[in-house]
Amino acid sequence: MSIGRDGIAGLVLLAISLVLLVKSFQLPSLPIVPVGPGFYPSIVLSFMATASALLVLQDLLKRRTPAVAGADEGPRRSYGLVVIAFAIVGAYVVLLPLLGFRVATVLFVGALQAALGRPQTARQWVVLAAIALGTAVLSYFIFEKYLLVLLPRGAWTGF
Amino acid sequence: MLDLLANGLVNIAQWKYLLPLLAGTFVGVIGGSLPGVTITMTVIVVLPFTYGLDPLAGLAAMTGVYVGGSTGGLIACCLLGIPGSPASIATTFDGFPMARNGEPGRAIWLGVWASVWGGLLGAFFLVFLTGPLAAIALEFGPWEYFSLFVLAMAMVAGLTESSLLKGLISTAIGLLITVVGHDPIGSVPRFTFGSEFIGSGFSFLPVLIGIFAFAQIMTDLEKLNQPRGQAAESLIGVRLERFSHLKVNLEIFKQPFLLAWSTIVGLIIGILPAIGGSASSVMAYDQAKKFSKTPERFGKGHPEGIIASEASNNANVSGSLMTIMAFGIPGDAVTAVMLGAMTIHGIQSGPLFISQNPDIAYGIYAAYILAHPCMLLICFVLMPLMLRVTSVRMAVLAPVVLVLCVVGAYALNNTMQSVYVLLMFGVVGYVLVKLGFPLAPLILGLILGDQIEINLVRAIMTDANPWLFLTRPISGLLLLAAAASVVLAIWQHLRHRNRVAEEEPDF
Amino acid sequence: MARTFVTMAGAAALTGVLAALSAPAMAQYPDRPIKMIVPWAAGGDTDNIFRPFAAEFQKQLGQPVVIANVAGASGTVGAREAQKAAPDGYTVYAVHDYIHLTFYAGISEVKYSDFEPICLVAATPSILTASAKTPWKNWQELADDAKKRPGQISVGATLGSTSHIFPAIVEKMAGLKFKYVSYDGLAPRMNALLGGHIDLTDSNLTQKGKVEAGLLRFIAIASEKRDPESADVPTFKELGMNIVYEVARGILVPKGTPAPVRTKLEESCAKATKEPSFAQAMKVQGTRVAFLNASDYGQFLAKIDNDNKVVMTDLGLIKK
Repeated sequence: MSIGRDGIAGLVLLAISLVLLVKSFQLPSLPIVPVGPGFYPSIVLSFMATASALLVLQDLLKRRTPAVAGADEGPRRSYGLVVIAFAIVGAYVVLLPLLGFRVATVLFVGALQAALGRPQTARQWVVLAAIALGTAVLSYFIFEKYLLVLLPRGAWTGF
Repeated sequence: MLDLLANGLVNIAQWKYLLPLLAGTFVGVIGGSLPGVTITMTVIVVLPFTYGLDPLAGLAAMTGVYVGGSTGGLIACCLLGIPGSPASIATTFDGFPMARNGEPGRAIWLGVWASVWGGLLGAFFLVFLTGPLAAIALEFGPWEYFSLFVLAMAMVAGLTESSLLKGLISTAIGLLITVVGHDPIGSVPRFTFGSEFIGSGFSFLPVLIGIFAFAQIMTDLEKLNQPRGQAAESLIGVRLERFSHLKVNLEIFKQPFLLAWSTIVGLIIGILPAIGGSASSVMAYDQAKKFSKTPERFGKGHPEGIIASEASNNANVSGSLMTIMAFGIPGDAVTAVMLGAMTIHGIQSGPLFISQNPDIAYGIYAAYILAHPCMLLICFVLMPLMLRVTSVRMAVLAPVVLVLCVVGAYALNNTMQSVYVLLMFGVVGYVLVKLGFPLAPLILGLILGDQIEINLVRAIMTDANPWLFLTRPISGLLLLAAAASVVLAIWQHLRHRNRVAEEEPDF
Repeated sequence: MARTFVTMAGAAALTGVLAALSAPAMAQYPDRPIKMIVPWAAGGDTDNIFRPFAAEFQKQLGQPVVIANVAGASGTVGAREAQKAAPDGYTVYAVHDYIHLTFYAGISEVKYSDFEPICLVAATPSILTASAKTPWKNWQELADDAKKRPGQISVGATLGSTSHIFPAIVEKMAGLKFKYVSYDGLAPRMNALLGGHIDLTDSNLTQKGKVEAGLLRFIAIASEKRDPESADVPTFKELGMNIVYEVARGILVPKGTPAPVRTKLEESCAKATKEPSFAQAMKVQGTRVAFLNASDYGQFLAKIDNDNKVVMTDLGLIKK
């Protein structure tokens, strides 16, 4: 008997639902509402806790063939790229209110493009820069001028 | 009645109405096709332009946006695997696999034509059944709504082939997300851990875009470094297949029952307020799968999945229009804006609306009907351009799509809060997909979570007797159907278990 | 050391550039679009009132006024957003009485006094409205029935908001006891009222069409005198209860907004509310134009705030 991916996921979800379940009983109730704000969440959480526990159980009982350990063989997956991409998006989201939409977007589109496929020649770099600039300018004009969405201004740049 | 409708059609066919209708439909298709730009947002954008027009012209433009947007969403579904608007979620399930199998044209046109036929079939109901059908919706008290939502979730949790348990957990996660933040009854902060960020809650749209967009794009990025040749440089192969519109239409009409039933599901959900196109798409998809002779092909590019989802989301529009025309009650945010436009023009909505303003009422019917050929025309013109999206390299497409997602989330509330939520749930969505949890039940939980809680508490506040959920006839029947649906799902699951090997979760 | 110096010099230079950029901007306010935060969803009552206002307002200001619907958590998300906004006059906050209620109910920390008043725009009188499935034709029948079965008659309301406070005042003045059911927003309340799932609710003149069709009944209006649009609806004053309850909607700006900017906004608001087209737009919203200048609006806010505090205390809803 060994624990697999599903079992770990189940355990994590079980832990989350139990912690929140305790929290849901501590919520204050209002005088005019017959059931408190914790009533419905406690139903959902009990349901989730039960289902998660069953998932763990199901995983533990599952017969596992050891050969399937490298289930991911097939095409090689580059999880490194995913982590980098998430990091770049994270940086974009943080910088957006500081640098303003236009500046941050140029940097973001440029950086993510370079991370996903590094340009080899000077010409490719120019294309990359043009796309970055184009995306920022075009989306800015469409949203700000025509869709009347005021995009974030930079707290540092005022732009 | 028919002569009134004929008058309406002749009336709308004038340039001063046809032009706004065409423009509205165009804007709707574009808005719908951009992930993160919802139909609601598009219709709000169109609203100021309609102030200057005469009332019917403005309403025609908005009807066009609504119809165009409900269709436009499928383009992103099929080509990017991200719902362009929430109303076309279920189109992603089969549209994207079909496009990946080298048939993007077939996937899109199946969707467009299904939209047209579903929408026109819906128009039939709209014109003839507006009064009686909307009256039924009014009889729905909190008990009935609660039971209806439970039924919806019971049906969708069974959607997944891999694990019913994971489907149920996904639903619970979706429901849990809506619980976080201030409670909808007394605004007591729940599970906020003292944080203002969590306290504001997670609104539906950023969560949806985050989960879908990131799960999709990041899964694609995993494959980016593969040896050239089979590399998924762009999302789908660059070459477009040849397909015939006649064949696509035959494919739709080969199964009249599927088309009719999807339309009716969409219509009913449209009539009931506060549910909306996303639920109708998912529920029609589930129904199609339940009734299908080939349920195992769903999720792998099955035409039935696309037809069900797209026919139902356009029929949903006619259902929402029914409710707003008969009672002046907006079924969703889009019709709420339309209602706002009517009052701004001094038109009183409500039960007297059709008899007091027959020109406008039948004008709206006519606009709804004519929006479909307009939409078809626009799709013919735009599609070659739209299909070019497929030939864009992933390295270029990913950042651009992500920028649109960020802007879409930001524009929702004009706050950075939504953007943070977007990113956070992007991570959550990606992790869940990697762990093999299906996303559709989660999304439905997310859509219905608030409403389930509110209606549950309303029912208890109105009458303390819990047995009313079972003794009120409509509510009791709905709950019975929910129980039957779960039993059916377990039975189907057991039957399929031996046949369907568990697959590597791939999006 | 040298590095610190460079950094500091850089920062100083940057500050200088920023100051230079922002200085001329002040001189000719407004020189870019102004964001109007409406803390409720598009298509709602508040949105329907501020959209026509924004159209008139921008004519007077000479710059686009862009409505940003920052909805969520009983309007408190929008309130926080407005409070945090830069006090430069490029963010204005469209507010109504909920700001006092959410503060005393402990839902949000944002208080009306975190802002500077600009002007009061409009006021919408509340009407006590009954479902057609109830037997009551007028106030007397309702009151008699309610006395017979206290705590049985259900009222749909957004708990802790104006639609809750208004029936609660009626309850107190008439010595009745209602049962409250949570329905957020006018549209869901009308839906429930039409289906007979609730007996009573707070509404306004926008629902006149449904009353004429016999689907709802207006019991009494909480205005000073009868409204010519629905002249047969009695006021609470006529019925012997001193209840005047109007939802007042106005414009605020974040504290610290410069005085010249506020003056410009106030003047533009005064002119915008005088436009006949605005009066017409308000009429279809069952609302009267109610302009008050900044200082009068400030006093009005203080008075309303105190009134609400008293009512909330009476109802046992107060948290601070």
